[in-house]
Amino acid sequence: MTTVALEFTGTGWTTTFQDLGRRDTERRGVPTGGAADQHSAVVANLLVGNPRGATLIENLGGELALVPDADVLLAVTGAPARVTVGGAPVESWSPLVVPAGQEVRVVGDAGRGTRTYLAVNGTLAAKTLLGSAAPDARMGFGQLVTRGSRVLLETEFRGFRRRFFEPPLFRLPVPVPRFDEGPWVVDVVASHGIHAIPGIREVIEEAEYVVTPRSNHVGLRLDGPVLHPDTDAEIVSHGVPVGALQIPHADELIVLGRYRSLTAGYPIVGVASRDCLPLLGQAGPGQRLRFRWTDRDSAIRRLARREAEVCALEHAIAEAFAAVGFETPLPQH
Amino acid sequence: MTTAPSGDVAVEPFGDSAVMVTVPHADQAIRRSAIVAFRDRFLEHRPHGVLDVVSGLESLLIEFDPLQTAPQHVEYAVRLLARWAPADGPEQPRTVREFAVPVVFDDETGPDLVSVAEEVGLHPAEVIEAIAKSTFTIALLGAAMAPMMDGLVLPRAVRRRAEPRTDVAPGAIMIAGDNAIIQPFPGPTGWRVVGRTPHTIVDISRPDPVSFGTGDVVRFVPVTRDEAAALDAGFLLPVEVSV
Repeated sequence: MTTVALEFTGTGWTTTFQDLGRRDTERRGVPTGGAADQHSAVVANLLVGNPRGATLIENLGGELALVPDADVLLAVTGAPARVTVGGAPVESWSPLVVPAGQEVRVVGDAGRGTRTYLAVNGTLAAKTLLGSAAPDARMGFGQLVTRGSRVLLETEFRGFRRRFFEPPLFRLPVPVPRFDEGPWVVDVVASHGIHAIPGIREVIEEAEYVVTPRSNHVGLRLDGPVLHPDTDAEIVSHGVPVGALQIPHADELIVLGRYRSLTAGYPIVGVASRDCLPLLGQAGPGQRLRFRWTDRDSAIRRLARREAEVCALEHAIAEAFAAVGFETPLPQH
Repeated sequence: MTTAPSGDVAVEPFGDSAVMVTVPHADQAIRRSAIVAFRDRFLEHRPHGVLDVVSGLESLLIEFDPLQTAPQHVEYAVRLLARWAPADGPEQPRTVREFAVPVVFDDETGPDLVSVAEEVGLHPAEVIEAIAKSTFTIALLGAAMAPMMDGLVLPRAVRRRAEPRTDVAPGAIMIAGDNAIIQPFPGPTGWRVVGRTPHTIVDISRPDPVSFGTGDVVRFVPVTRDEAAALDAGFLLPVEVSV
């Protein structure tokens, strides 16, 4: 195990430590939180031989840049981005060997997804709250990585004796999501509240919605047509799943994110499928969205297909890394 | 603690990886106590694949990983646990912690005291007395671990504010309906703000940021500003532990 310092020479609009979120804390009022795009976070970690839930860096907007003081194994995933090492373009969604003293620079294409993820083999030294490095703004746990800061990394990586500009090390079956130019399609499972608003199913199915700048980690606020229930029945505070489609009193649609809290009084007409949550986590202001109603079993089947792809990657990486003499933790799934 | 009267629960699908459990009963008090009892039992016998639960006032959201279990299995487990009467009497009694929370009730710490008093037909001093006489039980931990309590005894239920306050100080004691809650961090609220405790309710630098949990008992003890300052109050701790 060696300790490596990562010097952050550039940070985006918001650069934080991140992971897959808190486990078993929602029953105590703390939302799971964690990476908005969980798929990209998982794959970034797998590509560098980390466990899925290892602490990594989430970057929103701007330019992220860092310089390690020893060779590190690193990967960038998430929204489409231009990644360079020492000025030379390299691939995202791929393991990269970054030599000591070389700068990694990540510039996202903000028009096609908002967040990039950067994982480094090993354990990043980050504070935790209730077992997770994920930020929680409401509890004053910011986890910001600031420009000029040095973040320490404990790693077993000692290099593959390869140069970063040689052809890619591995041919891995990486499940890279599509970040289309056009509207993104989100599958939604109808929920009980849909019966309170006759006609809402058709309205949502046919319309196109646009993410507004009032969106944040609590929820995406969408411009587009909605209908309201006739009655103004008081709904008692209750929990809601991540991805719930809520219609507030104003003419907008809200898709609740990983930092939502209890809700009351607003009908919830459906819940985005778990499989589509990573895509929603990438939607920024101006992004166009369309919704497609689906049933629970179909939604779970699509989730299972994605999970199978991630498992295949997990195994391919374990084999490929073992072949070059670099042990990775055995897949847990 | 009241147990579910009939063991009947309603289970509603909520997306592809959650179900919502409620207790259908005409009496609100029974709906609320029965869901708390069900929640305790469910967490004690948590089925495989269940990730977490979210307590509402009259509901329990159960979140699961649909690749580790099936929604139908979770629904089945919920119904089974709701109907199942443990053979050897009540479930393992949990330790109830008791808290005596000092509170400064004045115009500055409790900007809604006067309007609450008008609404329920009392003098502000009588509202403070009623709060001090009430014995609260923590029903659930709300946003950012805020203790949400039942047990406020006033002549009538207190309404929420029409316009939420935008920046309420940590430690604010707030009421609505027959509930009370303590604000852990600065932030907005629609609750009526009636006082403030000098204690730190949630401290994120501690491994466990709170000292309380659901079922614990809270009383509010009126103190003056000077008394509050003299307390040198830090992290809120229970006064005594009883079984």
